[in-house]
Amino acid sequence: MNGLERELAALSDAVEWPDSPDLVPAVAPRLDAAPRRWLVRRPLAIAVVAVLVAAVLAVLAVPPARTAVLDWLGIGGARIVRVADLSPLPLHQDLEVLGRPATLAAARAQAGFSFADPPRGEPGPDEVRLAPGLRVSYLWREGADARLIVTQFPGRAGDPALLKKLAGGATRIDRFSIDGDTAVWLEGGPHVVLFVAPDGLIREDHGWLAGNTLLVDRDGTTIRVEGALDRADAVDVVRAMPASPSSEG
Amino acid sequence: MGSRPPDEETLVARAKRGETTAYEELVRMHQGIAFRVALVAAGDRGDAEEAAQDAFVKAYRALGRFREGSPFRPWLLRIVANEARNRRRAAGRRAGLTLRAAAVVSGDAAPSPETTALTRERRDALLGGLAALDERDREVLVHRFLLELGEDETAAALGIRRGTVKSRTSRALDRLRAVVGEEVA
Repeated sequence: MNGLERELAALSDAVEWPDSPDLVPAVAPRLDAAPRRWLVRRPLAIAVVAVLVAAVLAVLAVPPARTAVLDWLGIGGARIVRVADLSPLPLHQDLEVLGRPATLAAARAQAGFSFADPPRGEPGPDEVRLAPGLRVSYLWREGADARLIVTQFPGRAGDPALLKKLAGGATRIDRFSIDGDTAVWLEGGPHVVLFVAPDGLIREDHGWLAGNTLLVDRDGTTIRVEGALDRADAVDVVRAMPASPSSEG
Repeated sequence: MGSRPPDEETLVARAKRGETTAYEELVRMHQGIAFRVALVAAGDRGDAEEAAQDAFVKAYRALGRFREGSPFRPWLLRIVANEARNRRRAAGRRAGLTLRAAAVVSGDAAPSPETTALTRERRDALLGGLAALDERDREVLVHRFLLELGEDETAAALGIRRGTVKSRTSRALDRLRAVVGEEVA
């Protein structure tokens, strides 16, 4: 420890912290009412997942030899599927699939599910897009391109809407936790997002960036951050998004 | 000889099984540091207390996803800090206020041997220097030195990698040194 570090350590002793309150009386009554997630089984059976994977692959018309599913990871309503030798995606993006432009207030009123506000501390998104009942997206545009896209969709297992993500073999997939919420980081390879609509049809969503992707399952809503940013920055973006006011019962 | 209090790992395992009394014990063990981390992040005592309370409840709900055997405190502090930051942002407070809120310098309390080496003038200079740093530099130094958290705990509370804590600490110390200099022992 050098001199300045020693001084800062001494400064710690010089700071008179306010007395820490006893939190137990306030916390204890809320524990009985708290749902114990570890007792809740994800209702989605593996068989259902297998059927959906097959449906996705059928839609893609990928030859069987190239469809060996090497791995899949679950997160909320999203499933990440790693498929060997997936063809690279064209860079052309059609953002219309993200829905129509809307104000944040309109999105709040019409989305049909809880979602977080745009990240605080960042410049506001250039565009909010809404697909009622399906997703709300924040876009930071750069001309015809987008620097960052944050999309949220209802992702609780058992919901009719499921998102599938196909990842090429070169894509690195890390699963971790953000404040207790499950998160998945995808980096380094092309991937495409397929959406299973409530009517059962599988649609391919082309609006996404080809950059890195962070998926976070927060209280039944999945937050997806995509752009040319690293994992720490993507985590910062999600952390800066306050939980929806209606998500805390 | 009284019976030894249960260790943290045992308490976590019992809490995961739904024993709320075990979790209450965990709250007692960690509420002091949880409150301070929340205070630094929220910048307001009332918000800090509420954030710490909510964080303990959220952590309880998320306990099923906590990997047994790993240290509980960094995992908890991550949730606490996040909850407190959300409150600060919701209240529209700037992060720069957090240090002032935490840094109530003791006036009459008997100084420890360390503080005797730190004059009031020097303390003020250090606090002023910290306040002048940008938020990222300041928060890493506050967590490492004023809150006395380890690198893993600091990384968890700030949501950054341990390596980033190391590099950011080093850089922040350099910047602080440029502002306040270094007292020669």
